[in-house]
Amino acid sequence: MGKNISAPLLRTARLLDLVPFLNTHQGIALKELAAHFDVTPAQMSADLMTLWMCGLPGYTPLELMDLEFESGYVTIRNASTLSKPRTITFQEGVALLLGLDLVATSLPETRTDLLSAVDSLRQRLTKLLGVPVKLSVVPAVSGSIPTTISQAVHKNSGLKIRYHSMYKDETGDRLVMPVDIYESRGHQYMRAFCFTANDYREFRMDRIETTTPASVPKEFESRHVDSEKISFTITGKTASREVVERFALSEYHLGKAINLASYSRQWIERSVMASGGALVLNSPLDIRAEVAEKAQLMLNRYKEA
Amino acid sequence: MPTVSRKIERLINLTIALLATKRYLTKTEVFRLVEGYEGSAETKERMFERDKDDLRSLGISIDVGSFDPLFSDEAGYRIKSENYQLDLGAITPTEMSLLSLAADAWQGAAFADATQSAILKLSSFGVPADPIDIPGLSPKLSNGSKELETIAGAIGDANFLTFDYLSTDLIAEQRTIIPIALSNKSGFWYVSGVDHGIQEVRTFRLDRVQGAITVRKNTESFEFPTDFEIDRVDVATSMRFAVVDVRKGKGHALRNLATSTQDLGEWDQIKIPILTVEYLASQILWHCEDAFVHEPSDLRELIIIQLQALLIDHG
Repeated sequence: MGKNISAPLLRTARLLDLVPFLNTHQGIALKELAAHFDVTPAQMSADLMTLWMCGLPGYTPLELMDLEFESGYVTIRNASTLSKPRTITFQEGVALLLGLDLVATSLPETRTDLLSAVDSLRQRLTKLLGVPVKLSVVPAVSGSIPTTISQAVHKNSGLKIRYHSMYKDETGDRLVMPVDIYESRGHQYMRAFCFTANDYREFRMDRIETTTPASVPKEFESRHVDSEKISFTITGKTASREVVERFALSEYHLGKAINLASYSRQWIERSVMASGGALVLNSPLDIRAEVAEKAQLMLNRYKEA
Repeated sequence: MPTVSRKIERLINLTIALLATKRYLTKTEVFRLVEGYEGSAETKERMFERDKDDLRSLGISIDVGSFDPLFSDEAGYRIKSENYQLDLGAITPTEMSLLSLAADAWQGAAFADATQSAILKLSSFGVPADPIDIPGLSPKLSNGSKELETIAGAIGDANFLTFDYLSTDLIAEQRTIIPIALSNKSGFWYVSGVDHGIQEVRTFRLDRVQGAITVRKNTESFEFPTDFEIDRVDVATSMRFAVVDVRKGKGHALRNLATSTQDLGEWDQIKIPILTVEYLASQILWHCEDAFVHEPSDLRELIIIQLQALLIDHG
């Protein structure tokens, strides 16, 4: 349903959808019906009252819908014209198709029964839309990893994960107890107690390569050390979308120094290198020197070759 | 609000009448038969026009035709039941669960209302969902742009979308497209469409759209491009490859992009498809001395120029 649909129209849509639902749920409790349509019981009573006045032209008791709801339980008769559910809108179809695409990527490859059911639904929905459209979802984290993690969160159990640290560019095994999954700026993260670091850590889920159930100590204590952020300053030289996105800048004026901070000196150094001269790192001086040193080292190799 | 209720009653009665009729009903017949059309001829006319628009905005398609081929001067109206009713064939309990999972993937995100209203309609089939025996399975779509519904609507009607798009050098350029595809890759939303200026398909990342997207009605016929493959939106059209040495145990992100790997002892040599030279240069520089480019020469030269700039600026 479009967001620009007015309240009376939303109510009209609800009334039209009420009829087929009641047809297959005769005798449903008014309260349950209200909850299903996400309205108050009073609103549902008002809806039923309005519906009661509707029917085929003529509008005699023979043509009007026959609704019974005074007992607190609702039955409907004489509503054959509206008895089938309304077709879905184009937007609803697009949303379901995108959702199904994601579901398919999350299913284990062995579940061919479910995968072919998804496929059949996709074909039927696409046909229903009647307009060509290409839709696709390729999540950063696919397959069973999110499922294994949310299972571990539910059961309070441990996992051994193989994790690639982007800043260090290293892969290593860690023993963790997942706490929850959350999303931030388009990426999914797992929050977990890490037995390797003896502290709570956040892991970007697209960098988890494997997960294996593992037994972990039932009791653990965080030996939390407050690590300090490293302040750094950059000045933009050329307008670059990549710089704005990488450093998550809300404002960017060329030639004006910007103060930032990060937990990782490796991240600062690599980000400056990756900008390829679009910006200058003013401070800290030791990272500055390292950038120059690395650039010199790499240039030497290119000159040799 | 009695007038509001009356309007809703009238819309429902109109839907029922147009659905139940076996032939087209003329306006005169609608005014005579359907309860709620009152007032002067002009008032009734206005009411009817608005009602038709309202029903259409709910996704109900009203057919306009002539009820009598010999006297085709007066238009008639009806709602065909095959257009009104949801026809997905028989739905199994497993399919019902999969549809619920698909709808729940939008929880708190752009299409949450649309999917919930779709599920509400589907629930009228009275098919109980059969829970899927994979505990913990609840995939979620990232909450991207609020504009997804606008874009989906424009795809359905082949309408124009106009928006300002941030170029790689931070210039907001106005683009006009007829959208044909919506995709999500690694958490980012993309819209693809036929660019009105160049008449070719282009893909845009939605978080790089500045400000609002406006929709303009397209009155011309539109031919859906047949050669567009959504799975390949991030692969360069001219398939060029870079040959890069990557140190053993390093360069994970680059290795993920590689199409082939050759063992050279201390190093591995990999081949990477080039999306743009600038993007790949940045990816390679991120890996500092753990990555070294052999080919192509334009990528090599760009990296050398960038390294020289880095050296001068930080030395």
